[in-house]
Amino acid sequence: MSFLAGLFWDKSSTKAHKTPGGIKPADFKDHSLRSQIMTPPVPKELWLSLRQKDGNNLETLVAVGDKVLKHQLIAAATTPFGVPIHAPTSGQIKEIAAKLVVNAFEERQLHIVIAADGLDNSQQLHPLEMYQSISKIQLIAKLHDLGVGELGGADFPKVIKPDIANQSQTELLIINACECEPFISADEALIREKAEQVVIGVEILQRASGANNSVIAIETRMLDSIQALKAAVENRNIKLVLVQTKYPAGDKNQIIQAVTGKEVPSGDLQKDNSILVHNVGTAYAAYNAVIKGQAYISRITTLAGKPLKTAKNFEVLLGTPVPFLLELCGNDTLKQESTIVGGSLMGITLFEENVPITRKTNCIIAACSDWFPEPPAELACIRCGDCADVCPAKLLPQQLYAFSRSQDLENLEDQNLIDCIECGACSYVCPSNIPLVQYFRASKATQQDHLKQSELSGHWKERYQFHQSRLIKDKEESKTRKARVTKSRAANSESTDFSRSTAKTDIAAAVNRVKKRKIEAALKKAKEAKTEPGEGPI
Amino acid sequence: MKPSTISSPRQTNSKSVSNLMKTVLICLCPGIVSSCWFFGIGILLNILIATIAALVFEAVCLACRGKDPKVQMTDLSAVVTAVLFALTVPVGTPWTFIVAGIAFAILISKHAYGGLGQNLFNPAMTGYLFLLLSFPLAMTTWHIPLNDLTSGMPISPLSMEGVRQSLLASFPFMAFDSNMSKELIDGMTVATPLTLTEMASPNAFAAALSSDASIWSRDARTGWEIVNMAYLLGGLTLLGLKVIRWHIPLAIIGTVTLLSLAFYSPGSATITGTPYMHLFGSATILGAFFIATDPVSAATTTSGRLIYGVIIGISLYSIRVWGSYPDAVAIAVIFGNFWAPMLDHFFKPRSYGHKSKLSQLIQGLKS
Repeated sequence: MSFLAGLFWDKSSTKAHKTPGGIKPADFKDHSLRSQIMTPPVPKELWLSLRQKDGNNLETLVAVGDKVLKHQLIAAATTPFGVPIHAPTSGQIKEIAAKLVVNAFEERQLHIVIAADGLDNSQQLHPLEMYQSISKIQLIAKLHDLGVGELGGADFPKVIKPDIANQSQTELLIINACECEPFISADEALIREKAEQVVIGVEILQRASGANNSVIAIETRMLDSIQALKAAVENRNIKLVLVQTKYPAGDKNQIIQAVTGKEVPSGDLQKDNSILVHNVGTAYAAYNAVIKGQAYISRITTLAGKPLKTAKNFEVLLGTPVPFLLELCGNDTLKQESTIVGGSLMGITLFEENVPITRKTNCIIAACSDWFPEPPAELACIRCGDCADVCPAKLLPQQLYAFSRSQDLENLEDQNLIDCIECGACSYVCPSNIPLVQYFRASKATQQDHLKQSELSGHWKERYQFHQSRLIKDKEESKTRKARVTKSRAANSESTDFSRSTAKTDIAAAVNRVKKRKIEAALKKAKEAKTEPGEGPI
Repeated sequence: MKPSTISSPRQTNSKSVSNLMKTVLICLCPGIVSSCWFFGIGILLNILIATIAALVFEAVCLACRGKDPKVQMTDLSAVVTAVLFALTVPVGTPWTFIVAGIAFAILISKHAYGGLGQNLFNPAMTGYLFLLLSFPLAMTTWHIPLNDLTSGMPISPLSMEGVRQSLLASFPFMAFDSNMSKELIDGMTVATPLTLTEMASPNAFAAALSSDASIWSRDARTGWEIVNMAYLLGGLTLLGLKVIRWHIPLAIIGTVTLLSLAFYSPGSATITGTPYMHLFGSATILGAFFIATDPVSAATTTSGRLIYGVIIGISLYSIRVWGSYPDAVAIAVIFGNFWAPMLDHFFKPRSYGHKSKLSQLIQGLKS
């Protein structure tokens, strides 16, 4: 495969740098790549979740019974982290109710339910062919207002990524076209059919981010897509980088290393790294938003799995119920045992399949035990080290496993468990069938708990110590006060000859003392207010 | 739709522990077959006795520890332990010794430490060491079928007489005439190859060839080279199949070769042996490819593995040349095992996105 891809190398593309680890699982992508991207009919109902990654960032603008038009704004962002929601089709708001979200366990969140009227009437759009005519800030605002966010497999509210990039000068924009997980072929199909639009989208993102260079990183496996991109990037300032086909080549750290040859420092959230990574889907969405003026209301999603008659890629409206799409593909419900959202290696097995397509749903797999058999019994670790060879973070899973089992948090930290990206390559190769990645997830959670606990205990310790010191101080103060009072009393009783002059000086001294004490008290109060730690709720 | 219990990643590759162990067993076969050719069926008897004993002990231990022997024994680790142990024990060792050694290996060295994956020391080698310390004489004599009539003359080990003698050595109770069995044991033994001066200089292989014996003639003098080359073939196959990694075998063989070159003094009174003898006249090859590479008790990081191999190589050579034991693979491997946890702790590879220890040190010195 990579040999064939080599035939396409020329000036516009370069070979990627080597990245550590990785596996080559069977990818099952050819099933869904046989046909072109299809636009399914509009479903009767669309469910749009009001929950976004960082909690409540949205304000609903519609009420039950309202009529809405396609592309109409129905929920606005109240913080920069929120992504506004638009109506994917015309219809009526049926209800705003708690519904299941895409998750492995039962979780309900508020959804806006739109009953489609089937007319698909759109509100007026504002296409902008010459996007170069508006400023960078305006361009970012336009993208944000139309709901363009990061659409890759990883969940991160990256709609503001261009904003972040704005603060530190972005040098390089990397468009991630490595779709390394099995089954998913949405990006590959998108590039194959809409390379021109994608490339224009990349240019828009480049302008919005202010990056000097932009690169599209694509796996050598995607021959058709590479060819399509080659034609599209001709005479443009965009370079192709051919990345070795392996899992997890699409991981952000891996992509950055493959393109630049440099590792991303551990713990770096990539805020000041001057490199910006976006998904191909984001570029396409940027094209639709700016050139066509459309809001982000649909995405490419792969449907695959053995129970399906045909595996396909759909350009599907957000909020479309998953069962509706499965039915379109001729799902054999008797055969289907579970539904997976995402790829087979990192995806979530749904608690219930009655959930909508969201902005990051890149794949739906109808799973059955023919393709996903129950794993064999877990045997003892023989420390063969195969896991260490495939780890993209260059960790030692065999050691992490031992420390996870013994809950040795100190050693887990020493072995950099925190850098585990939970790709599951270690579990994939383990000859003893140990679900390593599950152990690591659990250990990470324990680490977090422990950290929280120690922070909390540290806080209370500080409070307690402060309290103790204040008690001691108060005691000492009252002691000295008592001593002073008894002393002055004794002095008073000693003075036998009472005279006007002595009385006068005594009064003046008392007045002074009171004044002084008042000032002292005020000072003390101010000081105490300053030193009192950890005020407020915990 | 029932909720699935399968967690991500839902795919696995086809590698399994039992397949790995099977591959190891298959790669041992050339060595075993050639051993039979030169020394008779004694080695097969060793393997048979050891395997049966190991499986019984393993099943009992697993049942006692509340594990399902049917599931856990599919890993075949007990069989590999038994076979490696049987290969290190001299041919013609009585069955009682073998069972005792296996009992120590499986019961104490493996399950007392928590079973497969938890043992600090290589079970097969601890079993052998247990026997070596308990029965030093039996563990250092090698039985070769000899001609009854003209004593001292070797006979074809696979002939009827040879097979009978091998059986008698392994199962002494089969000899009804007590006189005969005693005589047999005394008459049949030769010392292990390393104590043969022929092996030292000039090497036996050349000597055997010059005294117009063919490579295939069943002469114990030529036997060791051929057997070791067969083990080398198996070891290289393991490497090719990526069952083992190159670091440990290369480090051991490299160290032994370098040391034997450095200390080689032809003609001197103390014979230290040629590099050729150290590699092909002893158990170095078997130890380097099959025994020291046991991942459970070896170091698990790349640099750790190299150092682990060097430690084993040095101790192997030192014990063999300056120590009182004729061959030292078992002791050297156990000695290496002692170091493995520490090597794992101090020779971690650099994680992704982290600075190497050296650059950290340099930075620390600068500031």
